[in-house]
Amino acid sequence: MNREPTTAPTPLCQLHAGAAGRVCGLTGDTHFCQRVREMGLGESACVTKISGTTTIICQVSGTRIALSHAAASHILVEKITPPAPVAG
Amino acid sequence: MALPAHITATAAGATSRQPVYALVGNPNCGKSTLFNALTGLKQKIGNYPGVTVEKKVGTAYSQHGQPITVIDLPGTYSLAARSPDEAVTRDVLLGRRADTAQPDRILCIVDATNLERNLYLVHQILDLGRPVILVLNMMDLAARSGLEINVDQLEKLLGIPVIACEAIHQRGLIELKLAMSRADLPLARHAWTVPAAIAPAVSEIAAALVEGDRKSPLVARAEALLLLTDQDSVRVAGSTPLSPRTTEILRAWQSRWTQEGTDWAGTLVSSRYDAIGALAAEVVQLRTEVGPSTSDKIDAIVTHALWGWVVLGAVMTLLFFSIFTLAESPMNWIDGHVAALSDTIKSAMPPGDLRDLITDGAIGGVGGVLIFLPQILILFFFIGLLESTGYMARAAFIMDRLMSRVGLNGKSFIPMLSSYACAIPGIMATRTIEDPKDRLVTILVAPLMSCSARLPVYLLMIAALVPGERVPVFTKVGIMLFMYALGTAGAFFFAWLFKRTLLKGEPPLMIMELPPYRLPGFKDVALHMLERAWIFVRRAGTVILGISIILWFLSAYPKAPEGSTPTAQLAQSFAGRAGHAIEPLIKPIGFDWQIGIGLISSFAAREVFVSTMGVVFNAESADENTAPLRTALLSAKWPDGRTLFTPLVCFTLMIFYVFAMQCMSTIAVVKRETNGWKWPIFQTLYMTGTAWILSFMVYQGGRALGF
Repeated sequence: MNREPTTAPTPLCQLHAGAAGRVCGLTGDTHFCQRVREMGLGESACVTKISGTTTIICQVSGTRIALSHAAASHILVEKITPPAPVAG
Repeated sequence: MALPAHITATAAGATSRQPVYALVGNPNCGKSTLFNALTGLKQKIGNYPGVTVEKKVGTAYSQHGQPITVIDLPGTYSLAARSPDEAVTRDVLLGRRADTAQPDRILCIVDATNLERNLYLVHQILDLGRPVILVLNMMDLAARSGLEINVDQLEKLLGIPVIACEAIHQRGLIELKLAMSRADLPLARHAWTVPAAIAPAVSEIAAALVEGDRKSPLVARAEALLLLTDQDSVRVAGSTPLSPRTTEILRAWQSRWTQEGTDWAGTLVSSRYDAIGALAAEVVQLRTEVGPSTSDKIDAIVTHALWGWVVLGAVMTLLFFSIFTLAESPMNWIDGHVAALSDTIKSAMPPGDLRDLITDGAIGGVGGVLIFLPQILILFFFIGLLESTGYMARAAFIMDRLMSRVGLNGKSFIPMLSSYACAIPGIMATRTIEDPKDRLVTILVAPLMSCSARLPVYLLMIAALVPGERVPVFTKVGIMLFMYALGTAGAFFFAWLFKRTLLKGEPPLMIMELPPYRLPGFKDVALHMLERAWIFVRRAGTVILGISIILWFLSAYPKAPEGSTPTAQLAQSFAGRAGHAIEPLIKPIGFDWQIGIGLISSFAAREVFVSTMGVVFNAESADENTAPLRTALLSAKWPDGRTLFTPLVCFTLMIFYVFAMQCMSTIAVVKRETNGWKWPIFQTLYMTGTAWILSFMVYQGGRALGF
């Protein structure tokens, strides 16, 4: 499976539903960055955006996380190709 | 088959002291479920983050019958606490709470479906150097997600007992109790290398904490790491400030790294995750890639931009529809029994004050409130279902957009939603909110959400407003929904106002975990309903009974001359005089002195209004229920002969009850949560003031329009 970055950094809120990305930077204040990291959404984490435009749902390591649009705009990701499904 | 080492070793019975375990983990990983399974207690369980906001203590028994104290702590993602509930966990673990001794051992419970994220907290806890047992909960869900976890390998790598468990199905509890019984729990082989650039700072700050702040070496190292992870040293250090030397060293390192451009906090978290990632790679394997889960499929509708609102509206409509339809038979049953009891006493006792006290005061007052028990149980059943299935977090998600417009975020909606049941747990739930201003705003507006105590008042007024059995049930549901929506809109408006005036601040950035959906735990929901029913009945049997008796006395004495009408008797009684005293204040909103007595008495608890109306309007006690009370209300007149309870007055009274602060218990909780009288007094004044102003506008506006 190819999980190499395919684009320049983009805010998580601008990722299309179903697209995957790798977190490459956090731009919020220190407290926000720490909490995001502690919840497993820190730099190098792989994240898949599930849905949403104003409020966003994404998946990180099997956990669903809901973020407001403002919060998602502080998380920069590089798009990666999502993992190919494995047959049964 | 040979038992693992942690089970076969010496039992804890060898020591005389009762061991104390702290139960910690991420939010919503099953701590309270495990706590209940271990201790047999019935602590509230919910499928949303922040159910436990204060520590709970219980006693478990080892397989050898030895008692073990277990402290259930609020969930947290990190020891670097950011909200009051997380601070409880940190302070207990670091031995900072005067009311709780530092636990001897720690039970770390993790959600096996997301081991890597959950191990972050475990990693910090292992730094504390205390004996730890790791419980891998939800192993069934992990297997269903295609994950295979090598428990033996994890135990070997960490060097501590690791127990696979399904707390909800009581699986793995025997193994856990055997491990908890051990006298000689091993300390973790906790190999974690602090990044080279930061290691000298950790050593120097830890040494200063040992010398200047009298911390034990292991706690000092853990605290040094926390101080570097969270740049708010006051928050990390808790109520005890750091010594000047430690503060100086910390600032010197921080300023040096700032000049060098080193993101030391990020580096520390990343290096921890690197170590955890390496550990997880050795023990977790994804056997099968599974497709979208049931939760994914449900979320596609429930969190949809349009359908999400439709579902939320349908859930609320179904709730109120059920309140009006399903409760009818049990209400008639209670009504029949209350009336029969009253009749029995009336036929057994000679007429007189004592008989009136029992039938009109005690039975009339308490029975008038008890009749609403089925409707309150239905409300709690629905709220229990929402909590148990995981829908609460989705409701918060849907509401986030709206909440952000008033300066809060979706997280504040969970305490507000809980307040539909009762403002007290709602206000307690605000402890999960990180920002103190946002927390205070949520506390200030949460009691505007219509609680279950308002339900009897609304039902009585709706019965008077739309009399007759031929009125479609949807009309009544519609009026009820309107009152709930009005309270919610009021809460949003005042949140918006406070965030722009008294408690200015940027809207917080919301980041919240959405738990997977689970089938409702009907046993837990039923237990919670019974608990709430007991609270309601106990309150009816104590506070409401007491107030009804006092009110009967106040309305029966001093006695009017022989032959006076009941109205004349009430008018010159103590209660009547109090009602007359406030009448000038409430007359502009359409209420007379008799309603005034109800308003005064319901400052103890809102539902007392109904029992007060029963006593004041002297409804037929032989079959006292909503219908005859409604009849008594509808026949009540002003001295000039005008009808007192016109549809406009009933509607205005409901508006008043939506907004007025009339609950002593809530005021007491707000005082405790805000550490003083300033905010509860402010809250009482602004809510009751708003209630009066809006009631005035509605009543006078309605009259001007000819209603």
